Amino acid sequence: MNFLAASIESLGAKVVGWFTVGYGMFAFLAQAGLLLLEPATWNRATFDVVVKQVYFTAVQILHVFLGYALVISWLIITIILSTARDFGLTEFASEMAIRVLVLELLPFLTALFVALRSGSAINTEVALMQVNNELDALAHCKVPPMQFEFLPRLVGGVVSVVTLAGLAGLLALLMGYLAIYGVNAAGFEPYTRTIAKIFDFRIVAGLIFKCALFGLAVTLIPVTAGLETPKKLFMVPVSVLRGMMRVFFAIVAIEVVSLALKYI
Amino acid sequence: MTAVAALPDDVARVSHELPLRANLSALDNIALIPIYQGHFNVAESNRQAQQLLKQLGHADIATLRDPDMTPAQRFITKLARALILRRPRLVIDRPGAMLYDVPYPAFIRHLAAQAETTGTWEIFDFSWNQALYRA
Repeated sequence: MNFLAASIESLGAKVVGWFTVGYGMFAFLAQAGLLLLEPATWNRATFDVVVKQVYFTAVQILHVFLGYALVISWLIITIILSTARDFGLTEFASEMAIRVLVLELLPFLTALFVALRSGSAINTEVALMQVNNELDALAHCKVPPMQFEFLPRLVGGVVSVVTLAGLAGLLALLMGYLAIYGVNAAGFEPYTRTIAKIFDFRIVAGLIFKCALFGLAVTLIPVTAGLETPKKLFMVPVSVLRGMMRVFFAIVAIEVVSLALKYI
Repeated sequence: MTAVAALPDDVARVSHELPLRANLSALDNIALIPIYQGHFNVAESNRQAQQLLKQLGHADIATLRDPDMTPAQRFITKLARALILRRPRLVIDRPGAMLYDVPYPAFIRHLAAQAETTGTWEIFDFSWNQALYRA
């Protein structure tokens, strides 16, 4: 009986903990959203931090990321083409490749890439700022941490993920054309017709929205996880571990919901 | 020391509990304040910050980040950050915790003589350190 009561208590505590974390995240997002609308937020210093954030998250890794997108795209397209040939479904191969790569796989991998590289760094930095009292020092100097430290990271993350996923998608479209038609203009008309058929307004808007959500997940969750860190240095790795697990679950959840909305 | 932490908003504090932003240079740490409080542009804020460091006799530390500074350089940056707040009172909280490698009463006296400020400077220190200030 005691075991049952303890299990229920433990489960209840976990559920309450999840709700508290979720509420904290949404409250933070609402605060950031409201601040985003205030013209006073957009001073030169905040804008500079956004630019720096985009540089570190997207521009600095662009060559590595595009190389990685190129290899993945080439492999997936080749697999789809050879499978389609085996089953005599070649006419569907281009649509299949575009749907799998541009709409699903590349945005998902982009989010994972940014989460592992920048999300973990953001989580660590915010946790260290929290532990070292740097946020209190900023508050003492009346420099709003939300405006100077957090909002630029959220904006930078969203811009970076949307842009990187867009560039990877364009690269995949080019790879798809080269793999199917080779280096000639003969397939330009049917290929662009297929693209136009897939990318209607609803799909494009959905893709941008999904990438923006990915961008928010890989920055908002690490920031809030960092802010939850108790003021003890040994808790920083624990904070990063928790934050990155939450990021992973959030990315998977966004992808699953997006797939369900599109195909079910 | 709770009394120091509970000081009103019009007091600028220099304390080891209020560290510098670790990934910013000394100049950036100081220039942040005119940008956010005075709504100056970045160039003007940097100029004011550089001017203040020069006045304190340490213009050369402008590009250093916190981990690369000596305790004295870190203290000067914190002091410049507090001075640029332009608050009527400046409280230096337990200077011995920040300036453990210099004879700090004389060091602070020297800085106070160089800084052109209108407000008052107060030092909060442990009573057993009183003898140091009489020297």
